[in-house]
Amino acid sequence: MRRPDLRPGGYLPFATSGLQSLLQYRSTFLITGITAAAGAAVTVFLWRAVYADGSGPGPGGFTPASITTYLVVAQVLAVVHTNRVDDEVAAEVYRGDIAVTLVRPLSYPLVRFAACLPVIGANAVLVGVPLLVLFAALVPLTAPRPVDVLLFLPSAALSVLIAFCVNLLTGMAGFVTTNTWGVRMAKQGVVAFFAGQMVPLALLPGPLHALAMVLPFRAMADGPLTLLLGRYEGTAGAAAVLGHQLAWGAGLVLLCAALWRAAVSRLEVLGG
Amino acid sequence: MIVAEGLTKDFRIAERRPGLLGSLSTLLTREYRTVHAVDGISFALRAGSKTAYIGANGAGKSTTIKMLTGIMTPTSGRCLVNGVEPYRHRRENARAIGVVFGQRSQLWWDLSVPDSFRILRRIYAIPDAVYERNLALYRELLDIDALGTTPVRQLSLGQRMRAEIAASLLHDPKVVFWDEPTIGLDMVLKEAVRELVNRANAELGTTVLLTSHDLSDIAAICDDALVVDGGRVVHEGTLTELLGRADRRSVVFDHRGGPGPLDAARGVEAGLPGATATVTPEGRIRVDYPAASLTSRQVLGFLLDRFELTDCYAPEPDLETVLRQIYRGGVPAARNGGGA
Repeated sequence: MRRPDLRPGGYLPFATSGLQSLLQYRSTFLITGITAAAGAAVTVFLWRAVYADGSGPGPGGFTPASITTYLVVAQVLAVVHTNRVDDEVAAEVYRGDIAVTLVRPLSYPLVRFAACLPVIGANAVLVGVPLLVLFAALVPLTAPRPVDVLLFLPSAALSVLIAFCVNLLTGMAGFVTTNTWGVRMAKQGVVAFFAGQMVPLALLPGPLHALAMVLPFRAMADGPLTLLLGRYEGTAGAAAVLGHQLAWGAGLVLLCAALWRAAVSRLEVLGG
Repeated sequence: MIVAEGLTKDFRIAERRPGLLGSLSTLLTREYRTVHAVDGISFALRAGSKTAYIGANGAGKSTTIKMLTGIMTPTSGRCLVNGVEPYRHRRENARAIGVVFGQRSQLWWDLSVPDSFRILRRIYAIPDAVYERNLALYRELLDIDALGTTPVRQLSLGQRMRAEIAASLLHDPKVVFWDEPTIGLDMVLKEAVRELVNRANAELGTTVLLTSHDLSDIAAICDDALVVDGGRVVHEGTLTELLGRADRRSVVFDHRGGPGPLDAARGVEAGLPGATATVTPEGRIRVDYPAASLTSRQVLGFLLDRFELTDCYAPEPDLETVLRQIYRGGVPAARNGGGA
């Protein structure tokens, strides 16, 4: 089979045009920000109450400041992972608008990836950073060590890739069901729980904890946070976290590619 | 250039029973019905041809176009565009084709038309010279500059279609597939679109496959016609041949002296069994006769014999009449010209 070329030049415009479109809908960011801040406030103040009267480390080895940092940064990562890929793919498949992208000499998943980069960037800068600043002003946070920040950054980048794959797979539900809203809600719940956004994974009971450590969702919040807060055992511990992310990142990319190929050959676009 | 061999697409559609009880029962038992949208059609269109793909609503035109553009995979059979099976090599095929779906916008909804064109230039890596030449052409013919910096979502249908048509030709594709390309365009712009596609065809040898319900578009743009009815090809050949398949011919004449128009008409009907004669508002006589039982020679001979003709012409059968006759089953399935 002749391989079509995958020059980035063809995909870049989707990133820039995505940014241009985004900037026309400024109020979206405000709404995302308010929702995220409210969500973070609930978990943060709930867990701070649990850790309030402890002197020294509480359950899971967290201090009030470190569990606050965990939950706030987990919320910031969740905001960054809200890349709209799931809604957009599901809607395009359902409405048949996917046809328009398929007549271009481009890979659809890569188009989606390029188009979500500005969404991720804008969410990070316009919602994530203000959220972090707001909570830093309200409650004491742990200052991470520089080496942990350096480990956190590639880990956060991998979490973005994994979030993209998870959302793409969720959006592809549009090929088999019209109730993609339900599928997206289910995904959101599973991710929030198994990524550690609601309950730090260290606090989960034995079997559930073991399951959470294997699933890919851990790589979306708990993994990067383990590195940021220095909650790992030496170099091997840090390598294990990054290795888990890398393995799932590669696995999910392959899964997306294979499922996409199978799904698109069964595509039915009726009407128009 | 475009070949279809036994091209078939079936859809499985869940049957819904009427009413609330019916809806509830589909929760438990679901019955599927198979719809043959395209039923084993075969045709071959040569490079540089301009073909109208004609069929009644639901004849599978759009489904065929979606297979030819690589969006959908056939249930069986195959098609080739420029030697490539589009659904197997979608991206390779996409480089060589231009598409307009009248029902869906392929422009960037939140961006202006010039921004959309800049994106297309990057996607197809259009050389500067080609891009500039085509933009100049669109300025001249489609007045594309008038669309300015308005986001596409705020354009009128006619403005948007102008941009869609230009966008489909921007990268000098070898083949263009236009599905209802002139909806929302006024007479002047339709003329411009015809001019545009005819120029691309003449200068670059662009192959055109067009579906339209506007028969004047078809007549102005296309030389060939592919008529599909009930999922099968019923005509493949030139538009002229298609018109020649009309089962009735007409002659209109004026005469001097002899009987008055009404009597003359009655006389014609009496002398030519099967023919009908009517008096036109201008006082001429129009004779319609079945091509199967009467030859032109018989009819004209009869008229020359009976009347002192002062004027006489035979209007060409119009496309609408021929198509209506085909859709009603008046013309048997047959194939003219270069079948596959």
